[in-house]
Amino acid sequence: MTISKIIEVPYALEIPVGPQHPALHEPVLLKAYADGEEVVRVDIYTGYNHRGIEKLTEKNTFYRNIFIVARVCGICNLVHANCYVRALEELLEKYPNDRARYLRVLAMELERVHSHMLINAVMAEIIGFDSLFMNIMRDREYVMKAKEVLTGNRVLSDYLMVGGVRRDVDSVKKDRLLKLIDRVLPRVKYYRRVFMEDDTLLKRMVGVGVVSKTDALRMSLVGPPARASGVKIDVRSSEKYDAYDEIPFNVVTRKEGDVWARMMVRWDEAIESLNMARYALEHLPSDGNPVPDERRLPRRFPPGEAYTRVEAPRGELTYYVMSDGKPKPYRVKIRTPSFINIINTASVYVGYTVADLPVILVSWDPCISCMERVTVIDPRTGEKRKVPVKELAGGGSRRVSQRYSL
Amino acid sequence: MNGEEHPVVKLLVDKGLIEPSSERVKPNRRIYTFKPERIREIISTMINNLGHDYFYISTVIGTDFPDKKLIRLDYYIVLLPGEETIVLRTWLPRDNPVIDSILDIYPGVLNAECETYDLLGVVFKGNPALKRGFFVPSDLVEKNIYSLRKDSGV
Amino acid sequence: MTSNPADAGEKTSSNNKVIEKGDGYSIIRRSPWIVHFNTGACNGCDIEVLAAITPHYDPERFGVKLAPSIRHGDILIITGAVTKKAAERLKRLYEQMPSPKYVIAVGACAISGGVFHNSYSVLAGADKVVPVDMYVPGCPPRPEAILQGIVKLLEKIGRKEPPPKE
Repeated sequence: MTISKIIEVPYALEIPVGPQHPALHEPVLLKAYADGEEVVRVDIYTGYNHRGIEKLTEKNTFYRNIFIVARVCGICNLVHANCYVRALEELLEKYPNDRARYLRVLAMELERVHSHMLINAVMAEIIGFDSLFMNIMRDREYVMKAKEVLTGNRVLSDYLMVGGVRRDVDSVKKDRLLKLIDRVLPRVKYYRRVFMEDDTLLKRMVGVGVVSKTDALRMSLVGPPARASGVKIDVRSSEKYDAYDEIPFNVVTRKEGDVWARMMVRWDEAIESLNMARYALEHLPSDGNPVPDERRLPRRFPPGEAYTRVEAPRGELTYYVMSDGKPKPYRVKIRTPSFINIINTASVYVGYTVADLPVILVSWDPCISCMERVTVIDPRTGEKRKVPVKELAGGGSRRVSQRYSL
Repeated sequence: MNGEEHPVVKLLVDKGLIEPSSERVKPNRRIYTFKPERIREIISTMINNLGHDYFYISTVIGTDFPDKKLIRLDYYIVLLPGEETIVLRTWLPRDNPVIDSILDIYPGVLNAECETYDLLGVVFKGNPALKRGFFVPSDLVEKNIYSLRKDSGV
Repeated sequence: MTSNPADAGEKTSSNNKVIEKGDGYSIIRRSPWIVHFNTGACNGCDIEVLAAITPHYDPERFGVKLAPSIRHGDILIITGAVTKKAAERLKRLYEQMPSPKYVIAVGACAISGGVFHNSYSVLAGADKVVPVDMYVPGCPPRPEAILQGIVKLLEKIGRKEPPPKE
């Protein structure tokens, strides 16, 4: 694959989408080239969100980094912290007790539910189904409340610590959590049915942005986009970290591979996650205090390397932590799922209409702050059409290049 | 993970392309070292034996060691369907870190190669997309600083 | 209309005067339209801004509505630590907003850079790029806090306090 310089002739309409876009809430720039209504090529530009976190982690101590990596991404802050904390635990060979492991799973599954509900709501908004967006967001507040009851904050909770968690639940909190889960579960099932049956949604989503199983593997997609194409990869089931070896769950896959399938996988996973959260609460072990004494944690880390993987709401997330015996890490490397899912899929847009473009983009669950560390121009030129010189010279005047700023 | 080596790894070891190392990346991920000039041979052997469907390169991690005057490059490869992660490790001279790009045989490393170049200055020979300032701010590009090098001073 | 050109000219100039910043409060006070720009945030503040415009918090009782484009916006909500690349965009967006315009910095990062203040690629603070009228602290602030920030800003506009200098 080589990148030849693409010479833009006044043939296709260039539509920059972003970085400030009412629908996106996040800075990314998609440059779409459209021939009439049909998208012929998409370039992805990011880098508006590069904060130099990997360098920052080398300047701070191991423990302060727990709070920095949680702020790589606010939506999936618990999985980021979990992945990093588990890498530290591997270095120290100090593992949490059963109660802490169950509480971690509970918190991460609640996070998965709210993340999946959020992206489904955004999808409804993109399609123009505003009332559905508002309804899903209203019911999502129950999940946020549950997260607040459990971790102490709605979004960034800083719940995890080496060797355990930072707050325990008592029976009052447990009852409240169970009540909230009971309240949100029928609503999620209802929205799943809406996404199954509603004509407006089906017309916009079915058959759009299809990715076959082979393509999904070749583009190395992860998470719900891969599972919607029939690829059964889930770090929770293969790595069995924390309490995932004890809590029963199913890996949801679908065969269709289109936008609709990706959203349905998310709804099904949200239902699975709520059931897991309930299971974790009902079977919560009581083998001691899950909250470690933070003053007694070791300040120095033995030299070594650790590489941990975790299933974020968007797919496989990995952390590499290297220690050289000093109080600060020698190297931290973060590889996030959105990084793959967005950048490697620039070719999927080709052949669909301009109106489908945001629908396909949202179906990857783009988390720009996760992939902030790199920016790439995709080399795949898509199905570029050749324009005869004659047409350029004479007949090309009908299509005039224009710049639109959405 | 403690069991047998994956057949394709065994094949690579038998061919002498990679060498098993006694070290492990925790939790228990095997490390294999290789010579930088053989990277294309290794990846194409893997593709020929496994196909594109049964492994993926998860990430490429570069680390700077100024006291050894070396840059270490790790390729983290996940072998499906067991999702076993192995580490292929190589060392490059720090003053001239050059390795062959595998972009044309494995397109999925585009991000990793561009990132490693922009942050650490490792040149992937044959990757036409390498460019400074993909995401580091332009003032660092002008000063020709690679931010993840230990002596970058940022 | 047969008004003479001199009159028209005078009218336009007085109109221009009215919509200069710091003077035209009443135009937006009843129903400010907000625009949200992420300058390199972790999404924590962004999803809380998003949550603040949903029915549970009901911002429309204050007339607050999400504007479809920056050119329709009255209040710019900035989240994130303002990376050097996004700063150029932020400056340009601010210039595209029609006057009178106000800026709210939401979250610790937009106020001072938060945990990222040491990093090489952030400017740390939205007020280094554009004048900020209201700061909402928190990491992230709750949706109620964001709404309170907007309401406080509207009160400030009602009191005709002079805006910060550019």
